[in-house]
Amino acid sequence: MLQYTVKRILLVIPTFFMISLLIFLVLNIAPGRPGATGGAGQGESQNQEQQESYRIFKEQFNLDKPILVNTRYTLDADDARELLVTAYSIGGQASAKDRIAASDALSEYGAYLVRPLVELLDDADPAVRRKALDALVVAGQQPFENDRRGDDDARAAARDANKRIAAENQTLKERRLSADADDADIEAAAEAWKAWYLGHEDRYTYTLSEQVEIFFLDTRFAKYWGNLLHLDFGVSTVDRRPVMETLLGKLKYSLTLSTLAIIIAYSVAVPIGIFSAVRQGTRLDAAITVGLFVMYSLPTFFTGTVLLKLFTEGDPFAVFPTGDFQTMTSDPMTTWTLTKDIAWHLVLPIATYTSVALAALSRYARSGVIDVIRADYIRTARAKGLSEPVVILKHAVRNGMIPILTLLGGLLPSLVAGSVVIEVVFNIPGMGQYLYSSINLRDYNAVMAVLLASSFLALIGILLSDLSYALVDPRISFD
Amino acid sequence: MTSDVPVAPPVEDPSYGQIVWGQFQKRRIAMASLFGLLSLVLVAVYVPLFASNKPFLWNAGDGLSSPWLLALFDRNFYENQVDIFFNTLMVFGSLAAVPVAVVFRRSRTLRRRPRQAARQRALLAALAFVVVAFGAVNAAGMQQEKTVFPKLQAQLEGQGQAVTAIYPPLPYSFRDGELTETRLPASLAHPLGTDNAGRDVFVRLLYGTRISLTIGVFAVALYITLGTIIGSIAGFYGGRVDALIQRLIEVVICIPSLFLILTVAAFIEDRSIFHIMIIIAAVAWTTPARLVRAEFLRLRNLDFVSAARAVGYREGTIIFKEILPNAIGPVLVAATFGVARAILIESTMSFLGLGDITVPSWGQILNTGRTTSIWTLILAPGFAIFLTVSLLNLVGEGFRDALDPKLRR
Repeated sequence: MLQYTVKRILLVIPTFFMISLLIFLVLNIAPGRPGATGGAGQGESQNQEQQESYRIFKEQFNLDKPILVNTRYTLDADDARELLVTAYSIGGQASAKDRIAASDALSEYGAYLVRPLVELLDDADPAVRRKALDALVVAGQQPFENDRRGDDDARAAARDANKRIAAENQTLKERRLSADADDADIEAAAEAWKAWYLGHEDRYTYTLSEQVEIFFLDTRFAKYWGNLLHLDFGVSTVDRRPVMETLLGKLKYSLTLSTLAIIIAYSVAVPIGIFSAVRQGTRLDAAITVGLFVMYSLPTFFTGTVLLKLFTEGDPFAVFPTGDFQTMTSDPMTTWTLTKDIAWHLVLPIATYTSVALAALSRYARSGVIDVIRADYIRTARAKGLSEPVVILKHAVRNGMIPILTLLGGLLPSLVAGSVVIEVVFNIPGMGQYLYSSINLRDYNAVMAVLLASSFLALIGILLSDLSYALVDPRISFD
Repeated sequence: MTSDVPVAPPVEDPSYGQIVWGQFQKRRIAMASLFGLLSLVLVAVYVPLFASNKPFLWNAGDGLSSPWLLALFDRNFYENQVDIFFNTLMVFGSLAAVPVAVVFRRSRTLRRRPRQAARQRALLAALAFVVVAFGAVNAAGMQQEKTVFPKLQAQLEGQGQAVTAIYPPLPYSFRDGELTETRLPASLAHPLGTDNAGRDVFVRLLYGTRISLTIGVFAVALYITLGTIIGSIAGFYGGRVDALIQRLIEVVICIPSLFLILTVAAFIEDRSIFHIMIIIAAVAWTTPARLVRAEFLRLRNLDFVSAARAVGYREGTIIFKEILPNAIGPVLVAATFGVARAILIESTMSFLGLGDITVPSWGQILNTGRTTSIWTLILAPGFAIFLTVSLLNLVGEGFRDALDPKLRR
């Protein structure tokens, strides 16, 4: 058993890694450019400042990096030349799509382009030389270090480093030539760049070990995992606040709602299940079975919408508030009134949630008890003269409840993640609604965090239910 | 063998399929649900007969024509491939049904093998006919002007011209509303009233049947195929292949499926219902894969498999022709429940605005009801979903019990 437990716990790690890889690939291969919605992004007409701010945005979120493996250290002067020629349509016409792709690549490749571009300063074509100078200004910009992590000293050190980087970036930016620069200016600028490159050559040439490191580690996925190991889910692309913080803030809403609902569902479902198992075959059992079947087949969003419209609008039944978690007011409320207020708001969502869970749970409870009632030891218990309540409650129910107790493990993710549908219908600002709004806003870091967190909990839930199965049922052995 | 006189076929032992079907027939609720489902399918196929704003017959003094018939394969009118497909089924499927019925009747007295062969041939031929017709209809690409006939008729009659027109009982389109007739209550003309865009709710509901059934059936067919292949390979070969596939399945089932489905759906621009089917299939294939794997692990060491190996069958033949037919029962049960689940997932997606917004899907109608507070828009599609899902679940339960030897009656 111990061996099995340890093995299962160790298996969590590679499984979680694969889950993160799968989700990451799905999100990154999906079309659509994050952050590109608000002005900055596509199109050629945007000015340099917009381009620069979008480049920094991509750099911040590691969107300038390749997804899984990085081979950009192999870029040479020919590649760089081709990019320049396409991006600026030098000596010919490139299609708009190719041009955009090439100029995106120019801004994304960053430091990897510096060496090839410096080599291009000796190119035969003056147009290429001119554009290479412009591209160098962008490529020479260094990314900032993360100053949100570690203790105060580490943060202060990172901030100091960032000041130095900002100063260097600024001097490089000043090298940008104006549009009316003449040949002498260009010549002088090229010489200045070459001299600068000689001073920083080791930064832009890569040894074999550095190449291996770049290949695997200078990628979006590796950077993401690097952050994840520090429990850093990144910053929302929408409100620029750490996703983790927002998530923890949402947790209390989902947790309250789903914990209450599941406690109620269990405490109603188990007695119903036992009752109808004991009365198996009677009319009452049939009626209960039909009722549960109806509840089971009703879609959540339908139940929710009907309850919402029935009890919040219209004259006779308008008793409950139309959604939200609590009344929005600036008046301070005492704990008691606040609790009452929240409870009043949660009646309908909990009713919806419960009705869904209840049907499935009672069916499990009923079939669990029925399976046990047929067993020999129940007949023995009856034969030795035990009273019927003792037989059922002490002997049958204990074993019959094993399957439905282990279901609890599977409920773990939905406890925390809540339900998208219920939270959207009743406008409860929990995790489900957060996911819903984040996918509509293409907030990758937020979506990724919600998916990862709930998958992790599902993984733990499956582990717990397997282990608890082995714990409560001595017949199961894994050795 | 020596006589030419036709003899009555000898009494045959019932095949496994016949046993299961016999058991299924004894379960009255399941049988009733099966008929209910069949009538839903018929509604989906023949809905243009009841609801269309194109007249069957039209004569405005310039000769008799049938705009209804011309519109059936018109991409300007039925914009969606699904509708064109169902219309093909309505016209050409009905044509093909006649010879199939004849073959089925004639083959009743044959022995099992020739009977099954004849029926299979007939069904395949009919299927091929419908598919070819669908291809031809698509290739023809009929397109006509958008004429709103009820309006035209009123206009012409206003000018004092005599117009003869025979409409289906519900002369409304599921797509184009009448802006002067929004939010009408239920009446004889509009059995369930109209929505906020002046579209007849009942007509939209009827056409929504096509969407739900298509998504349910095709998504499930897709993932059952995928899952069965993966599960057979895992179960048949065992060892490392199995371990690898098991890990993959574990990874997929850990990701909350609705979250993943919604996320992927949101990232696809111009979602069509085909995208939705593929997304559902990509997440749901693990269930049949696990079932088939378990069955294969049980079956692969039995004597008939050793016999097949000894005869020298290829591995592909052993997997798909020898073992799979014995392992498919639980998968078909899961498929029935799967259709219900796929319909629920699709309606949840369109309820949240992440479905195909161009089709009259039930979830989308319900969402309109939520935002506009029109009661028929909430109750009618809700009931439609509930009915379809319940029927499918009841058929699935009956099917499951029929397969269970312990529950034989």
